[in-house]
Amino acid sequence: MIKTETYQLSMGPVHPSTHGVLQVLLTLDGEKVVDSVPCMGYLHRGIEKLMEARTYFQCLPYTDRLDYVSAMNNNFSYCHAVEKLAAIDIPEKAQYLRVIMAELNRIASHMIFIGSLAVDIGATTGMIYPFRDRERILDIFNELCGARMTYSYIRIGGVRSDLSSAIVDMINKFLADLPSMLDEYNNLLTGNEIFQHRLKGTSLLSGEQARRLGITGPMLRASGIDYDLRKDNTYSSYDNFEFSVPLGKNGDNWDRYIVRVKEISESAKIIRQALDGIPDGQITAKVPKVLRPPKGEIYDTTEGPRGEVGYHIVSDGSAKPYRIHIRRPSFINLQALNILCKGYLVGDVVVAMSTIDPILGEVDC
Amino acid sequence: MQGKGLLIGLSVTLRHFFSRKETVQYPEEKLVMNDLFRGGRLILNEKKCISCKLCAMACPNEALALTVEIDEQKKRHMKKYVHKSGRCLYCNFCVEACPTKAITWDKNYEIACYHIEELTYDAVKRNKEDENNEY
Amino acid sequence: MHEGLLVNLTVFLTRIAEFIFGNIFIAQLFIVLLEIVVIFAVISLAVIIQVYMERRICGLIQDRFGPNRVGPFGLLQTVADMIKLMSKEDIVPAKAEKLLWGITPMLLFIPAALVYAVFPFDNGVIFADIGIGIFFVIAVMSQGVLLFLLGGYASENKYSFMGAMRAVAQMLSSEIPIAFSILAIVMMTGSLRMSDIVSAQSGIWFIAVQPLAFIIFIIAMLMETNRTPFDLVEGEAEIIAGPFTEYSGMRWALFFLAEYTNLLAAAILTVTLFLGGWQGPFLPGISWFILKVFAVIFVFMWIRWTFPRTRIDQMMALSWKVLLPLALFNIMATGIGIYIYKWIY
Repeated sequence: MIKTETYQLSMGPVHPSTHGVLQVLLTLDGEKVVDSVPCMGYLHRGIEKLMEARTYFQCLPYTDRLDYVSAMNNNFSYCHAVEKLAAIDIPEKAQYLRVIMAELNRIASHMIFIGSLAVDIGATTGMIYPFRDRERILDIFNELCGARMTYSYIRIGGVRSDLSSAIVDMINKFLADLPSMLDEYNNLLTGNEIFQHRLKGTSLLSGEQARRLGITGPMLRASGIDYDLRKDNTYSSYDNFEFSVPLGKNGDNWDRYIVRVKEISESAKIIRQALDGIPDGQITAKVPKVLRPPKGEIYDTTEGPRGEVGYHIVSDGSAKPYRIHIRRPSFINLQALNILCKGYLVGDVVVAMSTIDPILGEVDC
Repeated sequence: MQGKGLLIGLSVTLRHFFSRKETVQYPEEKLVMNDLFRGGRLILNEKKCISCKLCAMACPNEALALTVEIDEQKKRHMKKYVHKSGRCLYCNFCVEACPTKAITWDKNYEIACYHIEELTYDAVKRNKEDENNEY
Repeated sequence: MHEGLLVNLTVFLTRIAEFIFGNIFIAQLFIVLLEIVVIFAVISLAVIIQVYMERRICGLIQDRFGPNRVGPFGLLQTVADMIKLMSKEDIVPAKAEKLLWGITPMLLFIPAALVYAVFPFDNGVIFADIGIGIFFVIAVMSQGVLLFLLGGYASENKYSFMGAMRAVAQMLSSEIPIAFSILAIVMMTGSLRMSDIVSAQSGIWFIAVQPLAFIIFIIAMLMETNRTPFDLVEGEAEIIAGPFTEYSGMRWALFFLAEYTNLLAAAILTVTLFLGGWQGPFLPGISWFILKVFAVIFVFMWIRWTFPRTRIDQMMALSWKVLLPLALFNIMATGIGIYIYKWIY
């Protein structure tokens, strides 16, 4: 009598495709996934706790290190929350600069997504091309603030430095080349039948399930729910710009991929409008040297490339925050892993993990 | 038609096979860092420095350990300016906090080293060594 | 037909050996041993060239240069890597079946190298021109799967074992389309002998007569050699390195050697069956042969660095539901074609 039984496979934390140090405990029946449990915490640095011992200004570099491929968006979210708490008005020009940089960083982050998805599916060349193009965005940021990954560019009260004409040229050139870059990815990956067969119809996540799990960002929109904070809870100067929110239908891997690819061109649209309409004026508001926000608390969110980045800041009236809690979108999106993997094959686990697009710095915080 | 996408993909890679390459041949050609680049070691201009310790106060991670000496004329002198680059976040807050623009980055990105002790250095001592080397 | 350069060389060497040993039997034995040494040397050299080629092509496709530091144009990079691999620590997993685990990489090389016995490199240059040449190739090539299974099983690692299981599934499903697509060629030549197949292509290459069989053969050969888009056995994003997961250093290098030996065998087989073997105008046969083989290898590498990986069920579906019926249809069409051809003439 042949008896079969399930077995446990520990995928990670040292594994070529877990995007950092994520461990997934898979229960497998042959190659079929019965259960998958993401185990987090291998990259925990206690950033929330570290922030309690630092002044509001000093917390900023730590937000860079949460979601390190879209540090601008984290800076943005943190500064937005603190400014709201301390009731600081930001000059219009700084708002525009923030939007431009956040959207550029969104493009860079989605390029990473395309690249890491490609390499997880096995198309190594599909990884190199987006990474090569992302390099140009990093060059722009390097020119702008002197760092390629941890920018600390968006500051409480404004931004760090103004756009020079050289940087404007670089951005314009990048935007002009962007359609041909996207064509290249589409020709190499999107149009590839093997790629399509791998993504279409796998790892379904219905809109209802996504909403219940609190999933946000492109992953939620891929499931067909129109929820984008840039439109639905507009902040900064996003209401000045025309852009659409791409939506998926089925919530499968393919939709999650295609939504992000479309978002790249939407972000480019925003940047173009912002560059054209950039007003004159100051880039920083008057902020006291020692910032002591009034006693109270605030929860403020912005739309990061992975979803809703939220900062819950409790102030006791001193120069240091009493408590900061960060809503990290990757962490919450990763909760969908079991739904995405159950009943599919080991090869699909890797793809599902890629299309969730978690950044472990953010998951473990 | 199945297979068309595969052929288009092959044409893309073949085009790149013959196209210009992006690699910078590192040890021979080196990139020049821009003015705002944050990285490398801190250079302290002792003539400008007023020993106010604002840089150390701005540092989020206590990477700067300064020792200030007050001489007979009640003038403050920087005796030690220890930068623990292992702790440094390279956030540039110290450079921005300086009221006299006395500290700058040396923009050297070849700072890998074999021993952990080499990460910590004294900028004042380095200045003295440089002076000695000049004479 | 002219006798190839290498044949003359062999005859010349045999004469010399006969002169030295004074006995024709010992002389021939000596020549056979010499031939074995030569074929191993050729395989090793070819593997070194292929590894360099792979990395260089990968680099050029990805807008990089690839290895260009060690030696002229980085040609010695593979040699340097080999030295590095040999000087690495030999790590044996504590729970592995030591004996099986240890001999697997060595055994894997045997079926990979054995098929070279029946490949015609030039006119008359063939180690054993046996009557069942192509049958021998198919039979021996499929022995590799056993060793993949052995290595995966002996490693006592779940990833290795999954890779081993995948290897079995994959090789079984690739063997049959290969056999059936070759069958169409055999029907046309009426012989399983490799040299007959090559000489049958003196007028027209079989790629022109049997394009469908060629496509099926190439796809199935990609499966057989575990290369992208069918590198499921290795599948580095999913199961780390499949059966090779626990191997490191020189043992891993032997796996690597076998892998590229198989790739070379696949390319030689493609050239022999579909691209006219050593035949070509002006140049000597051996140079045409090398040229064609490396062109085919280039195509294999080009495919590898372009395509994503398929999933295991998709690979199986492609093999059993698409390639096999197509191959059967091709055999039927070939049969009808041959019948009509005979009826006309």
